[in-house]
Amino acid sequence: MRAIPTLKISISGVRGVVGDSLTPDLLTRFSQAFGTYMGSGRVVVGRDTRTSGEMVRQAVVSGLLSAGCRIVDAGVCPTPTVQLLVSKLRAHGGIAITASHNPPEWNALKFVGPDALFLSGARGHELLDIYHQGEYTKARGTRIRVVESMPGALDQHIAAVLEALGPLPADRRRPRVVLDACNGAGSIVGPRLLEALGAEVIGINTTPDGRFPRPAEPTPENLKALCAAVREHRADIGFAQDMDADRLAIVSELGEPIGEERTLVLAVEHVLGRTPGPVVANLSTTHALEPVAQRFGCAVFRTPVGEANVTEGMQRHRAVIGGEGNGGVIYPRINFARDSLVGMGLLLHRLADSGRTVSELVSALPALEIVKIQFPFPSQRLGEVLRKARREYADFPMDLRDGVKVMLPDAWFLLRGSNTEPVLRVVAEAASEDAARGVAEKVRDQVNEWLA
Amino acid sequence: MKPLKIGVSGVRGVVGETLTPDLIVGFAQAFGTYLGPGRILVCRDTRPSGPMVAAAVMAGLLNTGCDVVDLGICPTPSLQLAVRWLGADGGISITAGHNPAHWNALKFVRQDGLYLTPGQAEELLDIYHQGRFEKATWDRMRTRVEQGEAIQHHLDVLSASFDLAAPRRRRLKVAVDCCNGSCSLLAPRWLATLGCKVLAINDDPSSPFPHTPEPKPETAGQVRALVKAGRADIGLVHDADGERLGLVDETGLALSEEFTLALATDIALRHRVGPVVTNVSTTMAIDRIAARYGATVVRTPVGQAHISEAILEHGAVIGGEGNGSVAVPRVQASHDSAATTGLLLCHLAETGAPLSALVAALPQLTMLKEHVAIEPSVIYSALQEFRDAVQDEAGTSVDLSDGVKVAFADGWVHVRASNTESMIRLIVEADTSARATELMDWGRDRLRP
Repeated sequence: MRAIPTLKISISGVRGVVGDSLTPDLLTRFSQAFGTYMGSGRVVVGRDTRTSGEMVRQAVVSGLLSAGCRIVDAGVCPTPTVQLLVSKLRAHGGIAITASHNPPEWNALKFVGPDALFLSGARGHELLDIYHQGEYTKARGTRIRVVESMPGALDQHIAAVLEALGPLPADRRRPRVVLDACNGAGSIVGPRLLEALGAEVIGINTTPDGRFPRPAEPTPENLKALCAAVREHRADIGFAQDMDADRLAIVSELGEPIGEERTLVLAVEHVLGRTPGPVVANLSTTHALEPVAQRFGCAVFRTPVGEANVTEGMQRHRAVIGGEGNGGVIYPRINFARDSLVGMGLLLHRLADSGRTVSELVSALPALEIVKIQFPFPSQRLGEVLRKARREYADFPMDLRDGVKVMLPDAWFLLRGSNTEPVLRVVAEAASEDAARGVAEKVRDQVNEWLA
Repeated sequence: MKPLKIGVSGVRGVVGETLTPDLIVGFAQAFGTYLGPGRILVCRDTRPSGPMVAAAVMAGLLNTGCDVVDLGICPTPSLQLAVRWLGADGGISITAGHNPAHWNALKFVRQDGLYLTPGQAEELLDIYHQGRFEKATWDRMRTRVEQGEAIQHHLDVLSASFDLAAPRRRRLKVAVDCCNGSCSLLAPRWLATLGCKVLAINDDPSSPFPHTPEPKPETAGQVRALVKAGRADIGLVHDADGERLGLVDETGLALSEEFTLALATDIALRHRVGPVVTNVSTTMAIDRIAARYGATVVRTPVGQAHISEAILEHGAVIGGEGNGSVAVPRVQASHDSAATTGLLLCHLAETGAPLSALVAALPQLTMLKEHVAIEPSVIYSALQEFRDAVQDEAGTSVDLSDGVKVAFADGWVHVRASNTESMIRLIVEADTSARATELMDWGRDRLRP
């Protein structure tokens, strides 16, 4: 049996390729199921700038209205804005329309529950059950409710960041910032937030038309234009967002990407310096976090991969900050969500407080390099591969909560299937990039051997 | 029987029961596949379910690679004119016309602004049932733009189609009931353009329908009171989407909806003699009026698509149906209650005659309408049995162009399946009410569902 490689329905949402598997009827049915699950309440809807965004949004609006929901239309906005609004408006839920870092042919629905967190676990399963049972609430024709537009959605988000962090200190030089918004949902709100904080902003790729000027993932190889712009404008820092502005990558004043993992580490340093407390990150995030947290006498707790798992762990451990190594910073004081706007605010304050440059801050961090590789893989053989990995590395300490994570003497690696694409991922970290790549590629070769 | 009707006049059903987003998305994709990818206009009437249906329609159209031009709340005839004005490839009007508020429907409009013909509607149904729709890839996906000028364009076309001098001089006082439908945005403005003193009620598109949006004497109570209290020259009742028009004379008497076309025919033929188009179910007063002017009458099956096509084919000077729908070809070959209003008011202003006098000069006939609810599976066998029963009746002739119409020397009986609901309609007409009742009994006796 052949799997359909372009559709992924899971407890974290529905994701597929437009013009192929992600059809409007599928989307309306999922939205009807979600509206039914949310008890026909008030639901916030926002989308990123993908070309399919309007099609998906209309399908979602139709499904939610049919289920008797009232809709708050946040328009084009970052995914974290949807989460923030659910919380501020005390809405029953939200739908963020975005395939975040996936290529332009993809789109997806991410479901937000009444606690402003992504649905996961049992609640994700309940939604899937409703979807599959197909018995949706149907509002009678005369009782269909309205779509309220919310033109001030982005302003509310900016206000929330400013209220918590304050503007940058007025007695310092205004930092010069280059922002690469990937023509995504951060294109409008990103520059406005940076200006509101008191920075001088140079925007590149800030036309919100969903035409990807670069691959959306803000990984170093995709940030060449940003690096060049930072050097050209002699900027203090460069920021890169993905399509839905939940993830944040940083380029130093030298025009060099510092690596996505370090976004969270620098944000953690800043927050713990002011408010020490527990830190939560997923299993695949850099181990540079532990020594940094130790400096402040704080603990780091690890969770399975996925924003929902991290936020759940943050609630359990009452974390002051958390996130993921892919540039996802979660600072619950402002928003219980990966939020690049919050990340930019924290980083600019870190620069201002320390009076140092980005490269100086980076050089003071533990010297660890992380390498992430992925390769196509028949997902039905995942169990078999993980079993073999456990046997192969039985002599080393392991964490089996999400795939197989192995602590080698001078490195660690994590082998897991993707939640969002039919690929296998290997993440490895060691003292140098070469060493980390060596570990990751060895694991990949072993997997291919087991599959042969 | 669940209230859903998929047929040549579109897809129509009750929201919350049968008319689901799934079904609408499917039809919109079928339409986008049939006409597109191209530019498609979308409008809706004021039903609460309009935004839900519109969103499903737009999602379906966008997925086939169409450009969507969103006209918002707008009468169907305004959309029909805008299709040509904007060079669009077609349109979908979201309205269940005269049906109650919990119903909704899709009406499909072609590139030339007319409804799909039955043949084309069947092709669309085939595409829907086959379910193999065009799917735009991400780089061919278009978006939605809003266009708020369609009603203004409609007003411009109306103004250019009539001589406004007489009505502007005469300043008629007009009471109008827009049923809180999409005509709320058109009718009062058009009346003001005609120089009328306007007494408008139920002209708030955000409020629910105050009564069934079907213009006929039963729904004209409010406007009758308004005509009397305001001493208006005429009262007008609109449906939800700007096709049908009901009339109240200056004494406050509500006219049968059959009189709208009869009056329009008389006025049109006074100005220019030419063919008149109507359906087989409409009053024979049309034939008698046409005979006064030596004009011919072309009879078509029931439904606007047939009327429009015959108007164009025969170069008709007027066309329409007995439900209050009139097409004034110099405006467009589609039913348009604003164009009908223009024709009537210009004539009233030019002649200075009261409406009641114009009506009194028309043939006075009695029409009776009944319907028999019937399972869809037996509708056609019931019609067949009726046809067999009446085939050899002496002194009659039988017309089979739409159901079975039996013409007597002094009246007629028409039995047909409804296009929009699961029922058989019986319509009879005669010179006297006694004879009409006799004909209705005759028809009912021979129809055994």
